[in-house]
Amino acid sequence: MASSQSMERSGGLQFPSLKTVLAVITGVMMLVDLYFIFMVAPTDAVLGHVQRVFYFHVPIAIMSFLAFFVVFIASLMYLFKRSPKWDAFAHASAEVGVIFVTLALITGIIWARPIWNTWWTWEPRLTTTLILWLIYVAYLMVRSYAPTQSKGAIYAAVVGIIGFVDVPIVYYSVVWWRSIHPSPVVGPFAKSDSLDGTMALILLYSFITFVFFFAYMVMERMELRTTEEALGRIRFALRRRGE
Amino acid sequence: MLDLILLSTHLPSSNLPYLFAAFAVSWVILFGYLFYVNRRQHELRKEISRLQTILDQTPEE
Amino acid sequence: MNGLLGPMMVIVWKDLLLELRSKDIVVSIVVFGLLVVVVFNFALNNIPGRSEELAPGILWAAFAFSAILAMNRAFVRDQEQGGLEGLLISPVSRDAIFLGKALTSLIFMLLVEAVLLPVYAVMLDFSALSWYLILTIFLGTLGFAVVGTLFSAMAVQTRSREIMLPVLFFPVLLPVIIAAVEASARAVGGETFIGLGRWLPLIGVFDAIFLVICPWVFSFVVEE
Repeated sequence: MASSQSMERSGGLQFPSLKTVLAVITGVMMLVDLYFIFMVAPTDAVLGHVQRVFYFHVPIAIMSFLAFFVVFIASLMYLFKRSPKWDAFAHASAEVGVIFVTLALITGIIWARPIWNTWWTWEPRLTTTLILWLIYVAYLMVRSYAPTQSKGAIYAAVVGIIGFVDVPIVYYSVVWWRSIHPSPVVGPFAKSDSLDGTMALILLYSFITFVFFFAYMVMERMELRTTEEALGRIRFALRRRGE
Repeated sequence: MLDLILLSTHLPSSNLPYLFAAFAVSWVILFGYLFYVNRRQHELRKEISRLQTILDQTPEE
Repeated sequence: MNGLLGPMMVIVWKDLLLELRSKDIVVSIVVFGLLVVVVFNFALNNIPGRSEELAPGILWAAFAFSAILAMNRAFVRDQEQGGLEGLLISPVSRDAIFLGKALTSLIFMLLVEAVLLPVYAVMLDFSALSWYLILTIFLGTLGFAVVGTLFSAMAVQTRSREIMLPVLFFPVLLPVIIAAVEASARAVGGETFIGLGRWLPLIGVFDAIFLVICPWVFSFVVEE
């Protein structure tokens, strides 16, 4: 089942599986990322060291939105092609996506407290992230509460599509709402958009690291799903033998 | 004036616990998930090989 | 277009008759709507003077929760009595089925809202005599109906149907609720269409987008 196992048995040239390669690359990239964040990145003049959370929070948040886009495409492909691979891809991306959104929200909250002196503010990015989280959760719920696996796949695909179309509308409605009800959040970096060169580069690198991390996690999850399906097939075969 | 008031409530050094918390939570959640996936993978594989031996032993239809 | 409208109207007529025959459904949703207003009134501490600020929000909270109740029922009878299979076997297009169901929910909800609106106007102390308010309520409820019908069709087949519909519904319809509250506040405050700003167009665009998407995905939801 695991390609690395069969490779060893064949006794020939051992190629590590793509998954292992990805894991190693990701691990190394992450270590380098941490080095950059803590050793290379300049300390923010106003906010101090806590600003370094930014190098995790922003890439994670952007990745979670990207993940939702991936779920959207995979959902469309599944509805048209009906291949289980697309369903597995959508499912895995959504589950890892939830992890990322949850993390984005948590780091966002931890970031907000020292910077803005409040745990939460209903500003467009945070609010849209929260809605994204709710839609992902609904996606996963609909999958597990559906009457059958295949119906669950279809329902989830529908949620993946509807949700993705909805997210920009949510974002703009909150932007417009906030322009009328301005946030009481004050202070420097309330917008937090001024970046110097080194910071921007490290941010970019961190983002790429998290893209790899995401890809690796999705691969792991998809492999788990393959195993789950194999178990299902064996159980089914046993039941039939028993009759 | 406002900047000064804000600076005094946001002394850089006092915020280190938040920095630690953010990174700690990130690691816990990311690795926790990977650990969970891997553990389930192992459990399921054990179950599959167990059932496979039973399947191999029961007579064919 | 003929093939769409005819079957659609038949579905609407049949469902509406069934719903309205048991008038206690309408009554119980109306009562629920009133309860929501009462609860929110105290929860938000609606003291005199604050009513103008809080009324639109309470109005739409009540409408949104009542909509959930109304739409939870949209496919329940079909599910229990197998009416949906019969409909699907017949040569009626999926679009007609969906639009028929959505129109039924829309009419039903508008009826409930029509009853509740004057009561709210009295309880929350605002003037409901504004065409722009009526338009906002219509467009907002249309959004509820279109997306809600799709989610109701999914939810009714899941294990936990009462919780599945709100979980799906509220996040997606948030922009409509935000926009409806803002537009209502302005409409009640005597604003004209221009003064309603971008809010009404936002609901309009939302409705237009989902009027296209929802019927299309509906065919996947009900396929066997």
